[in-house]
Amino acid sequence: MSDGKLVKDLMTGIFEYPHIPYWFSINQAVRIIKISFISTRNYPEPLAILVFDEKYNLMGTLTLKDLLKGLEPRFMHATTKAQVPEEDERGLAFIWDSLFTKKSKELAEKPVSEVMSPAKYFADPNDPVTKAAFLMIHHNLVLLPVLENKKKFVGLVRMVEVFDEISNAITRE
Amino acid sequence: MELIDREDHQKLYFQLYEILRKKIESSEWQVGAQIPTEDELCRMFGVSRATVRTAILELVRQGYLKRQQGKGTFVNKNIISEGLNMQTSLKELLLEEGIEIAPRVLARTVMMPVDDLDQRLDITHDKHIIYIRRIWTVQDEPVLLQENYIPYHICPLLLEDDIENHSLFEIFDKKYGIKITQAKNFMDITRLSADEARVFGLEEGSPAILLIQHFYSGETTIMYARSVKRPDRFHFSVELERKVV
Repeated sequence: MSDGKLVKDLMTGIFEYPHIPYWFSINQAVRIIKISFISTRNYPEPLAILVFDEKYNLMGTLTLKDLLKGLEPRFMHATTKAQVPEEDERGLAFIWDSLFTKKSKELAEKPVSEVMSPAKYFADPNDPVTKAAFLMIHHNLVLLPVLENKKKFVGLVRMVEVFDEISNAITRE
Repeated sequence: MELIDREDHQKLYFQLYEILRKKIESSEWQVGAQIPTEDELCRMFGVSRATVRTAILELVRQGYLKRQQGKGTFVNKNIISEGLNMQTSLKELLLEEGIEIAPRVLARTVMMPVDDLDQRLDITHDKHIIYIRRIWTVQDEPVLLQENYIPYHICPLLLEDDIENHSLFEIFDKKYGIKITQAKNFMDITRLSADEARVFGLEEGSPAILLIQHFYSGETTIMYARSVKRPDRFHFSVELERKVV
């Protein structure tokens, strides 16, 4: 249904995203997210960091949600409802800043390997886009890594391109 | 007056060069003054014209003397530059000569410029950096731990090169045609972090020697290296030479 388009036709380059090794702390990842995306108002879809091992193999991805989830227990307890107006979405920036209290600073020293989403599912450059879509939908992935010969990390499939591709096929007369 | 010693094993021209240089450095021959002619020097020191000419040429080459067509030879400078220049070829590691050790790669991956890495490498915060961490061991004993940071765009394929058997300098030069033209070294005493101490099998906070290096090719920063060496094994060695300006 998608004109036989392949993963390699729509994958994006891996250097579109920041890279970090797994031993970086949440704190360092937060700074990178802030400096790369938030402070420049550059919001690619999705906002993510790629996490690598010491041999430069992809280990996982780190999204804002992963980072916040990693801080969740303290996050929930340390910030009272009064500080975080529930219905005000602009409060996100406020929450972000308030994470850096004394206690959450300790938590933010955890390595990112503890909070990232491990990379378990991969596509091959020659896989059909529909296969990538299937993997992403069923495993709730924001990014699907593309490995050449099951080894070399060559690109990423993002939901926006998958959506565009599949929806084109559907909306076409 | 100091004379040539014919019993001395050193070449005559070199002896004459040394004698004349001392005259300049001690201001016996003052800056701007004309020195004796070649004939006069031949007579003064009882050497051939060829010997005199070679010695003078060397002093001219080094900048002590300058020749003025039709007028003679004059004292140009008698001071030595204050800066110290690296005499030996630039080295990645400042370990003393004669130690046969090879590095083992502990990590080779890519990261973003955290802390002050963007300033050290003169790159913007969105540039990826190749990070290499290697340990040098002698008889299974870790001696030196080095971390290298290289802007990814300078040589992306460095991620796949054989960095256990070839030095980074060699790879930069031979494979990428990048000539390192300048190195800035900074040494200090440090204390091992928990992680470094584990690598050395020492206690956290143990004293160690810290070597910070910045390598440049022309104006471009090629690499920043941070090395920690245990203080009780081997020495860092730096050879310097003063040159006249």
